Amino acid sequence: MYADLKDADLVPLIGFGTDREAEAELFRRMAPRVRLYGLRHLRDEQAAQDLMQQVLITAIEALRAGRLREPEKLASFVLGTCRMTVLDQRRGAQRKERLLQHFGAEFPEITHQPSPRLDHDHLARCVQTLNERERTVIVMTFYDEQTGADVATFLGLSEANVRVIRHRAIHQLRGCMGVES
Amino acid sequence: MINCSNPIDPAVLGDYWIALLAPPEEEAVEEHLLGCDQCGARLREVIALADGVGQLAREGCLRMIVSDTYLKRAAEKGLRVREYAPPPGGSVQCTVTAEDDFLIGRLAANLSGAKQVDLSICNASGIEEFRLPDIPVHPSGQSVILHESCTLAKAAPTSTMIARLIAHDETGSERLLGEYTFNHTRTMPGPGVWPQF
Repeated sequence: MYADLKDADLVPLIGFGTDREAEAELFRRMAPRVRLYGLRHLRDEQAAQDLMQQVLITAIEALRAGRLREPEKLASFVLGTCRMTVLDQRRGAQRKERLLQHFGAEFPEITHQPSPRLDHDHLARCVQTLNERERTVIVMTFYDEQTGADVATFLGLSEANVRVIRHRAIHQLRGCMGVES
Repeated sequence: MINCSNPIDPAVLGDYWIALLAPPEEEAVEEHLLGCDQCGARLREVIALADGVGQLAREGCLRMIVSDTYLKRAAEKGLRVREYAPPPGGSVQCTVTAEDDFLIGRLAANLSGAKQVDLSICNASGIEEFRLPDIPVHPSGQSVILHESCTLAKAAPTSTMIARLIAHDETGSERLLGEYTFNHTRTMPGPGVWPQF
């Protein structure tokens, strides 16, 4: 039943304060999404895991209390909670411990969606099929994490040109790897 | 999984992953991702691609043109960089060991005014075996840094490779910018010649 509902439809059910199944469904849906946010900003699997747990407990606590008046703004609300939690994480772990003790046992264990596995040799062949500029841009970007400005300076191009080259390379690699839709 | 009516371009997700989006665009992407599992799955694919490219680069198995900054950061990460810099028209004795991570050829040349530069790789007789067309060079650069595949070099028998930098002018004719000879001596165990297929 709950699996067919939109995210926003779960909000009022949780707001009544008794529907644990709706809470569990929202937890299951949001957990991998918040984890991706954590990976992007914290660059650490364990830290992303901690963030996910803390954000969802905080969010569900707020939903139970009816603090989200417009259910369709759930994603925006969770995003705000993510940001605040990252800031909080930098301030200390006390609140996290308190929340985990209070709510931690109520929510389901989340099995993470595994990261897609790429055929390493196939990827190497695909990278070698890129033209020289594309290969250099993509490696400097993904391996060295150089900014668009750094790469542009090296190549004597504009940042916009580098962005075009980078985007073309990503699409070409995905196509070569058979994941481009 | 509900079908996304407004999927985010994978290249934009790539920019998001490496923090290259402007704040308003980043916020829009994050809000979308917190409501969309399909784009989340696509982001995981992009992350896997980025990680895979990073691993290939760490292993030093790509042949490509790199920057000084790239080499500096590799050295800071603890990678062992072996570099040779034959003068234009000159040669160098070179090798690669099991401990080397990156193998670099620094090719000095005056690149100013060159609209397009190709790197031609030739055998000991000077016959071109393949060409890297339109390599990335800075218009006012003084050298090209060739990152050779360490994997390939470690398997290579003792041999000579000639690299030529070739500029194209506006009429389409070619001009030799420099020729560099690498006399590679194999110091690792392995076959004395490339296997014939």
